[in-house]
Amino acid sequence: MVFSLKSRIWLTVFSIVVMFTFFTLFYFPAQQRKLLLKNYNTEVQNLANTVALGVNIALTEQNFEGIETAMKFVKDDSRLQFVSMVEYDTVWGNDHHNFQVKKTMLKTFPKNQHPAPNIQSNNSIIVKRGMFNTAVMSGDILLAFTTKEIIESQRKIRITSLIVSGIVLLIGILFGLLLARKVSVPVLALRDAANRVGDGDLSQKVKIKSGDEIGQLGKAFNNMVADLLKARVALDENNQALSASNARLNNTLRELKSAQVQLIQSEKMASLGELTAGIAHEIQNPLNFVNNFSELNTELIDEMKIELDAGNNKEAISIAENIKDNQDKITHHGKRADAIVKGMLHHSRSSTGQKELTDINALADEYLRLSYHGLRAKDKAFNSNFKTNFDKSLSSENGKINIISQDIGRVLLNLYNNAFYSVMEKSKVPHSDSNRAPKGEVDYEPTVSVSTKKINNNVEIKIKDNGMGISKKVIDKMYQPFFTTKPTGQGTGLGLSLSYDIIKSHGGEIKIETKEGEYAEFIIELPC
Amino acid sequence: MGNKKTIIYKEPERSIVIKFSMVACLLVMSIIVKCQVETLTIICNSNGAPATMKFTELRSVMKGERQRWNSGAKVVIALMKTSTTVGKNTAQVIYNMSGDALLKYWLGQTYQGNAHAPKFFNTKSELEEYVAENPGAIGVIDPPPANNEVKIVSVDGKTQFIL
Repeated sequence: MVFSLKSRIWLTVFSIVVMFTFFTLFYFPAQQRKLLLKNYNTEVQNLANTVALGVNIALTEQNFEGIETAMKFVKDDSRLQFVSMVEYDTVWGNDHHNFQVKKTMLKTFPKNQHPAPNIQSNNSIIVKRGMFNTAVMSGDILLAFTTKEIIESQRKIRITSLIVSGIVLLIGILFGLLLARKVSVPVLALRDAANRVGDGDLSQKVKIKSGDEIGQLGKAFNNMVADLLKARVALDENNQALSASNARLNNTLRELKSAQVQLIQSEKMASLGELTAGIAHEIQNPLNFVNNFSELNTELIDEMKIELDAGNNKEAISIAENIKDNQDKITHHGKRADAIVKGMLHHSRSSTGQKELTDINALADEYLRLSYHGLRAKDKAFNSNFKTNFDKSLSSENGKINIISQDIGRVLLNLYNNAFYSVMEKSKVPHSDSNRAPKGEVDYEPTVSVSTKKINNNVEIKIKDNGMGISKKVIDKMYQPFFTTKPTGQGTGLGLSLSYDIIKSHGGEIKIETKEGEYAEFIIELPC
Repeated sequence: MGNKKTIIYKEPERSIVIKFSMVACLLVMSIIVKCQVETLTIICNSNGAPATMKFTELRSVMKGERQRWNSGAKVVIALMKTSTTVGKNTAQVIYNMSGDALLKYWLGQTYQGNAHAPKFFNTKSELEEYVAENPGAIGVIDPPPANNEVKIVSVDGKTQFIL
């Protein structure tokens, strides 16, 4: 059972008041009754002694003023029941060896009272004895006072105690309620205000009505809430600033993403351009054949017409056979061009993102040639050897690996382009530059080599060039997006970054082994 | 032994005369003293007590049974202490009691509130002076009174009580 603060204060005060009331109602009246009785006994005893002294003086000094005064004092007292004089006589036995004290009630006032000489106090009277002993006689003064006055006094004390107790109880209850209210109201107000502050309402303030600890607590609470409000305002301002900053950052991010998309698109377009150049070169060759043989056939047909007109059928037949051979060649080269166009169309289609079993050797070879011819198409001065060393087992039906061929093709194309760019750059370096062209490389032959190899459950593709190599500083950053060592406009800086992401998305690894100024070898490992 | 008898024997007449003379003197003296002590006189203040009273009337006054004079003055009794001869005689003659009985009597009267106790004195002069100064006062002394301001009360026609 949980008591509230108000109840506890009230109960405490009530307990104290009840205890005090108990003392007022029972203990103090009892003490007062005892004191009253004691004083009354003492008073009666003193009066008895006074009367006895008066008797003593009267009988010894023969001065009755004392006894007269004492008796007048006693008689005038309304509490007097009786005052008696008892005379003691010594009565000897016949043998004069034993004696008895005979008590005789000599005088009693008022006369109508006839108390026994040995009367004792009881509930209705208090009897006290005062001894006198003179040569004339000896005895006691018996003074009896009624207890009515004491009983009446006790009754008054009880009534007074009851009234005082009631007043004390009432005042105590009122005081307890007031105190409980005085203490609990501000505390409860503090609690409610604290709850509302806890709910987020920082406009709460408690009214401070006192300078005591509760008032100080209220003041501290108000200060705390004010500080909280200030902190919240500052926090809100900071939040607003952060929101604005976030909005700006989001905007910037959107712009960056847009730029990234555009750059990726640019990279794709660049790749496509290179592909297109390579493809164009590939198509140009058969087309040249087609054109040449077509022109040749046209000329042969003209010659055949002349021979036919001349009646030289043998010659005409011979020319017709040449025309047929040429036509076969045209067909052959037309199919070749058709295959190239189909391949181009295949590459130009958007990636489905679906893995498919792919001949990695064919893919590597195809993109190597596309890269080479693309570069050659763009720059007639470009020239480089390229070598392939493929693991033939990977070309078998069981050797195909499950990849997204378009994505891996892009990776290979990017690496080939970089390799050809590197060897081309190196070939441009003057031979006298000992730093960039070590001795023995005067007859520099730019070469890009590609090899594949199945190692356990992985396929390893190595693309090596004997170009410029890659410095350590560049290695640390080359996979970062937009990082490029190429001049502005020649590279987007996304090639290696995208390549890294594609290889990772295939669950593979891409590594670099290089020696600056001598070679660079990218090693791709793909799971089978 | 023989010498003693001789001496007694030698002076018998003179010894008897001396003894006789001494006894006679003592008798005379005791008679004289007795005549002086055993005479009491009642004195009173000039205001209050009558000049003559009967003995019964006197006893009634002296025992406190009558507390006012005819003049209305309050009766005030003055007595010699019972330790004095006059006091004892007064108790015996007036009250017909011993001294102690007199005291007990007045103690009883005072106790009951029946009457005011007498004023007891050690000397005659004090008593006379008290009587002279207090109206209604009456006292008992051995005659003659030395204070002229008090008057003698005649009881049954006599100014003195002779025991």
